Amino acid sequence: MILTGPEIARQVSLGRIELSPFEEQNINPNSYNVHLGPTITRYKEKVLDSAYPNPTYEEEIPSEGLLIQPDQLYLGSIAERIGSNHYVPIIKGRSSVARLGLFIVITADLVDQGAFGNWTLQLHAVQPMRIYAGMPIAQITFWCVDGRPMLYSGKYQGSSGPVASKSWQDAFFAEKS
Amino acid sequence: MLLTGHEIIRQMKRGDIAISPYQPSCVNPNSYNYHLGSQLMTFSDPELLPGVEGNLQEIPQEGIELQPGKLYLGHTEEMLGSRRFASSLIGRSTLGRLGLWLQVTADLGHTGTYHRWTLEMKVVQPLRVYAGMPIGQICFWRVRGARNRYVGKYRGDMSVMQSRLL
Repeated sequence: MILTGPEIARQVSLGRIELSPFEEQNINPNSYNVHLGPTITRYKEKVLDSAYPNPTYEEEIPSEGLLIQPDQLYLGSIAERIGSNHYVPIIKGRSSVARLGLFIVITADLVDQGAFGNWTLQLHAVQPMRIYAGMPIAQITFWCVDGRPMLYSGKYQGSSGPVASKSWQDAFFAEKS
Repeated sequence: MLLTGHEIIRQMKRGDIAISPYQPSCVNPNSYNYHLGSQLMTFSDPELLPGVEGNLQEIPQEGIELQPGKLYLGHTEEMLGSRRFASSLIGRSTLGRLGLWLQVTADLGHTGTYHRWTLEMKVVQPLRVYAGMPIGQICFWRVRGARNRYVGKYRGDMSVMQSRLL
């Protein structure tokens, strides 16, 4: 079951969903609109390797926006801090943004129960596209769970701003090196 | 409703979810991490037609560098499925953060399937991946209503399977 907008607001007021800042105007019938944070993280190298740390750099999105290119990956984050110990959030694009050809996640749309922070967005544009800090970029849905909770305590917990992949920290690679 | 990690374990013990091989360390709060199987299919034809035969290769020990603009079909190392729940086969954010797609918009797994799942892989920037690495996650959904059996054409797949649209 998916929560309705009014139920999301009620769960926020009960403290069972953390969502800050919370503004009524961002409530949709079945989701909450979130906004693009001010920073973008990019990889320095063109060729990436999942077994090793890939060096990155950060840039602030200028006031005139940032033109993003199809052949590059851009890691952004949501401006809000969100999480829930009671529901599973699933990140969805907004059709207004999707109609411009922007992916906001890359097949990993599920956020674990108990994961809190400014979640990282994986931005990929089909055609060059200009993005702006603070724009409404995605929507968060909340789903009911079945079973005893197992809360997230993983390597991206409490993130603030975009966080690059920590694939190389997976036991599979840690044991190899 | 989406199953929690504890519930996935409980349903596996009941026989209503099957994961093989199973490793307890791969259970997440709301999903199970699957691994990249050893075979990869690529297509040399510049034009993909329904029924096209791909080239199957083993991923070498040093990994393989996936290139943007190409489609790769991989597979899960595990046999995965459920006779009672529907599933979503999705990526892990750890690989999404490296620009790797595991599915091309078809992430729904039907109730009653049990096989090695084919992964539709593509990248934004060149990316080296390795056989056996934890690459994606599967989650399970409670269903409502009478169940019919999946009798589709990908039932029982043991490795990569190309499109059987025709």
